[in-house]
Parts: sequence; C-alpha cells; structure tokens
Amino acid sequence: MSQRSERRGIHVDQSELLCKKGCGYYGNAAWQGLCSKCWRDEYQKARQRQIQDDWALAEKLQREEEAAYVSSHSSSQTQPPQSHSQHSLATFSKFEEKKTNEKTRKVTTVKKFFSPSSRTAPKKESHEAKTPSPSITRQSSIETDRVSRDFVEFLKTLHKPGREIHKHSRAFIDSMGNKKQDLSAEELSECVQDFYQGMSDRLLNHFKGSSEKVDRVMDQVEKYIMTRLYKSVFCPETSDDEKKDLATQHRIRALHWVTIQMLCVPVEEEIPEVSDSVVKAITDIIEMDSKRVPRDKLACITSCSKHIFNAIRVTKNEPASADDFLPTLIYIVLKANPPRLQSNIQYITRFCNPSRLMTGEDGYYFTNLCCAVAFIEKLDAQSLNLSPEDFERYMSGQASPRRQDDPAGWPQSGSRVNPVLTQIQHNLSVLSSLEKRQQQVIEGAQSLEAELTEWQESVAREVQEILERYPLDIKPRASAIDAENVENDRLPPPLQPQVFAG
Amino acid sequence: MAAAGGKTYSFKVVLLGEGCVGKTSLVLRYCENKFNDKHITTLQASFLTKKLNITGKRVNLAIWDTAGQERFHALGPIYYRDSNGAILVYDVTDEDSFQKVKNWVKELRKMLGNEICLCIVGNKIDLEKERHVSVEEAEGYAESVGAKHYHTSAKLNKGIEELFLDLCKRMMETAQLEERSRGNGASNSSTGRRGVQIVDDEPQAAVPAGGCCTSG
Repeated sequence: MSQRSERRGIHVDQSELLCKKGCGYYGNAAWQGLCSKCWRDEYQKARQRQIQDDWALAEKLQREEEAAYVSSHSSSQTQPPQSHSQHSLATFSKFEEKKTNEKTRKVTTVKKFFSPSSRTAPKKESHEAKTPSPSITRQSSIETDRVSRDFVEFLKTLHKPGREIHKHSRAFIDSMGNKKQDLSAEELSECVQDFYQGMSDRLLNHFKGSSEKVDRVMDQVEKYIMTRLYKSVFCPETSDDEKKDLATQHRIRALHWVTIQMLCVPVEEEIPEVSDSVVKAITDIIEMDSKRVPRDKLACITSCSKHIFNAIRVTKNEPASADDFLPTLIYIVLKANPPRLQSNIQYITRFCNPSRLMTGEDGYYFTNLCCAVAFIEKLDAQSLNLSPEDFERYMSGQASPRRQDDPAGWPQSGSRVNPVLTQIQHNLSVLSSLEKRQQQVIEGAQSLEAELTEWQESVAREVQEILERYPLDIKPRASAIDAENVENDRLPPPLQPQVFAG
Repeated sequence: MAAAGGKTYSFKVVLLGEGCVGKTSLVLRYCENKFNDKHITTLQASFLTKKLNITGKRVNLAIWDTAGQERFHALGPIYYRDSNGAILVYDVTDEDSFQKVKNWVKELRKMLGNEICLCIVGNKIDLEKERHVSVEEAEGYAESVGAKHYHTSAKLNKGIEELFLDLCKRMMETAQLEERSRGNGASNSSTGRRGVQIVDDEPQAAVPAGGCCTSG
C-alpha cells in the first residue's frame, strides 16, 4: 500500500520529472535527471577533461622515470613515488564524484603505461646477455648429436657386436668424464689408446671380424669418442701445448722472409695451376684446426700433401719424390702459419687410431708434417745456405732478401716473392690493354662520325646536280575547268527535288 | 710394425740415402715398372705400397721415401721410427754417397738395434765404367754390420725384384720369430706396445734426436 502511494506521488508531480538544467524537456533517472541532449553535452565535457588529465599525468610520469634513469642515486629514486602520490591525490580529488568505472579506467591506463617500459628493458638486457652463448652451445651440441646418431645407425648394421660396442663406448666416455680433471695429457692418451687396443682385439678375436671391417668400425668408434671428449682433451690445461703453439707461431712469423730459392723448393708459382695448388694446400693446412676427429685432421694434412704433389708434378713434369716434397711442405707451413699447430699435432699423436698413424698413407704425410715443424724449430743459417751474418740480419728485420735481389732485377724477383706484387702487375697489364681497346673504340667512333658527315654532303650534292640537269617547268592553265566540255547540250535537264507535304 | 692378422703381414720400409742417388727411380721401377717415363700417371713417388704373396702368406709393403738432403739428416728418426726394414741407397759412381750410407747404418743400429732389416743398395750399375765404390769393399762392409748388399740399376731394371723379395722374406722371418717368442695373439699386442716403448726410450739418449722425437 505504501509503495503504491509513492508511485502515484512521483507520477502525479510533473515538476520533478523535468530536466534539472531547466531546458523544459523531461529528464531521465539513468542520465542523472538530465534529458538526453543535456546529458550528452555534459558527458563529452567530462570525457575531454579526463583525456587531458590522463595525458598530463603520463607525460609527468615519463619525465620522472627518465630523471630516475639518468641519476642512479637513491634520493632521486625516492622522489618519483612522492610526486606520483601527490599527483594521484590531486587527480583523485578531481574525480571523486565519478563512478567506479571511470576510476578503474584511469588505473588501467597507468598500469598500461608502466607495463611496456618495465617489460622492455629486462627483455633487451637478457637478450643481449644470451645472444652469443646459445649459438655456440647449439652448434656444438648439434654436431655432437649428429655424430651420436650416425654412430648408433652404423652400429645397428652390426647387430650383437654393435650393441656391445655401443655399451663399452658409452661406459668409456662416462669414465673419462670422471677422470679428465685429474689425468695428464699422456695419461689421457694412454686411456684412449688402451680402449682402442682392447676394442680392436675383441673385434678381431672374439667376433672374428676381418681386418678391413674392424678398421671401419674403429674409425666410427674414434669419431664418436673423440667428438664427445674433444673439448676436454684438446690442448688440455695439464699440458704446455698452448705455450708451444704461441712459440711456433712467433717462430714462423719471424721466418716470413724465407724464399723458395733458399729452401730449394721445386715449385714455379708463375704457373697458374701451380699457384692455385699452393693456395689450396695452404687452405687445407689451416683448416686442420677446425676439425674435431683426429682422422678428419689427418684428412686435411693428406689433402694438403696431394695439392703439394700436384704443384711439383706440374712444375717438374714427373712424380714428386721426398727430396722435393719435404722442402715444399716446409714452405707451405711457413706461408700458412697454421693456428695451434703443435696442439693439433699432439692431439693427433695422442688420440688417433694407431693403425692409421703408423703404417698408412695418412701416417706418412703426418710424419712429414712433424719433420717440417721440427726443421722450422731448428732452422739456422746453414739450413738455408746463408751466412750467419745474413741470417741474423734477416731474422732481426734489419735487412730483407728482396733488397739483395735489386741488382738482379726487382720486378722479376718481386713477382716471385710477393703474390700481391704479381697481382698488381697483372692488374696494371689488364688496365693497359683496356686503355688500348678504349682508344680503338674512340678512333672508330670518330671515323664513323666523319663518314656520316661526308655521306650527308654527298647526298646533298647529288640531289643538287639532278635538279640542275632536269629543270621542272609547270605551265599554268589559261582556260576554265569546264570550258572544253562541248557535249554539255546533250545532257538531260537537272532533276528537280519533289517536296512532299507531311 | 709387424701386424700379424691371420696370414697377412704389414711392413714399413724406409728409403734412406743422399739425394740424386736414384731412390725414387728405384721404387718407381719396382711398384710402377716405370723409369723416367714422361707418361707416368703417378702423382707422387714418396709413399708407395705393394702387395705380395710369399709362400702362401700375404704381405702389405709400405715404402716410405725420405728427403735425402744433408739439411734434413736430423729428421731421420721421425721417419724410421717403428720401421721393419730400411733400404740404404748409394750411387756406385759417388764415393760420398757410400759414406752417407755408412753414417745411416751406424745411426740405425744405434737407435733401433738388430730388429730392423738393413739392405745396402749400390744403384746405377749401368754406369759400371765410372764405378768408384768397389764390389769387395761394399759387400765386406755390409757383412760386417749384419746387412745384405745388392746391386741394382733402375734404368736397366736389374736386381730390384730380388732386393724387395729378399727383404720381405727377412722381415717375415723376424716377425715370425717375434710371434714364437710371444706365444699367442694377446702377447702380439703387447709386442707392439713394447716396440713403442723401446723407440721412446732410445731417443732420450741422444739429445738432438730426442728433440726431434719430442716435437713429433
């Protein structure tokens, strides 16, 4: 009963239903007692005011954050919160009469502003820190995984012996992982060689494998084991390989002045095919350091040696003997100055399957490389057929062999000694021939221009002569066009147009 | 290193001697049956191999040529380490090359003892009129040091087959003696290891050679 009476009261009193602004129209409770028009105007004003306030707040916060970045003092860090809180209080006082939605929206705006800046910086930092290591780790692990998969696939073809080989190989790698911190380089080598010997004996005696098949299996075993152990056994900390590497590198660099003639190298680098073989040999010997399996390193040495043999054969037109091969290999090593040469030689000696190293062709080339390095280390004036005084001057850098060659003829000796000079001379000759061709083209163009001009003049003269020889006279007509039409009388009279009404 | 796998032997033989005595021609004639032929297709003549069959047993022969120049003499131990045989070549027209061979013999006996089979070869017997090393002197010296002497001509293809065949037989005898003294296959591997140890021990006695081996 009371509710009903209230409704009647509202319904009856019309003055309370009008818009609060007094515009004369009816208001609505949903629009806080305003009519739709007045409500729309009021809403837009409030919205614009809020947008401006948000913008000002954002700018202020950004300036404060930048100031905090510039100065890393703790006092500056405390200031932003205070300013922020004060500004927040001011902002809140302006909008205290607004609804919860509006307040929530402002808070979200502030959060959105903070989120990007707070998330971006840590991402960049972490990205920069992580960039190099993942790629290196990933590359190494990819290679290791591939070798492991290849090893497993290979062993599947062997059935029962394969399973035993895999078990023993994995056990060996695990045991080496435990030992590597304590053992010296020679002890590590002994462990690996013992493993090779035991595995080979078991394959030969117990499984009755043929020697060729056993060799193939042992190659795969070596590849698997040494790929897994490479990082810990190559140039180990317990050895002085690194010192030797640096000493060898300095020694080779100091011998940059040694020439083909001093070593009696039977290689004529003027021949393109020969110089190409020399470059390939240098590339191969340098590439040795990038391999991990001892057999792959040996393959680089063998490839280098074959390019040397090719250079000698092309030069001398006969098969190369050791008298020719060793001096040329020494020359290649001096030119290449391979990285970590001693470490690579020690690694091959310690961890290569001995059957290949002792007797095979690869072993022969490896032995020659050891000889070359030994020779370079002990090289003296007598080795190069020089006087001790000259040798000392060349070593100290006071003199250069090329200067002595000046009387004999600098260009010739220069081109032999220095490939760069050879390239420069080649470029000069190419440019010279190009200049000659350019000159010929210019002369051709000029003669063509002259011919064109002459042709034009001759055509004009010819036309003029013809005109003079045969003058053209045009006689004008004196009579009218229809004057001579004598049969005009016989023509019928002209037709008269007929006009029809309508 | 002798590797007795069933009935197959693998032998390493080093060629030693001065340059220009004909080491390369000798081995090319034996392995390729060529002499100073411009149509030789072989790329190199430094490392050559040959497979033989002697009294039913297979032999894989690896022949290592070495640089004979005087400046490379100190590198010899790196080459002849773990060798089963050595062929020392001199030129019958060159007395100095025979003296060089004598030096090699002394060094090899000192470093490798009596385990290595030595062959002393007088090459270029086709130049008999210019001979400076008498047959009596050469054969007498070879006998005194436990080696065997051969007369060869790479040009005329004389004496070379006999040289290598005889060397292989002697190396086989040495390998078989080692096998009997070891007993069985398991000991054979220890034989290899002891060989390595022997080589490692002896270079220490000679400082220069030791330096070479250490770097190798």
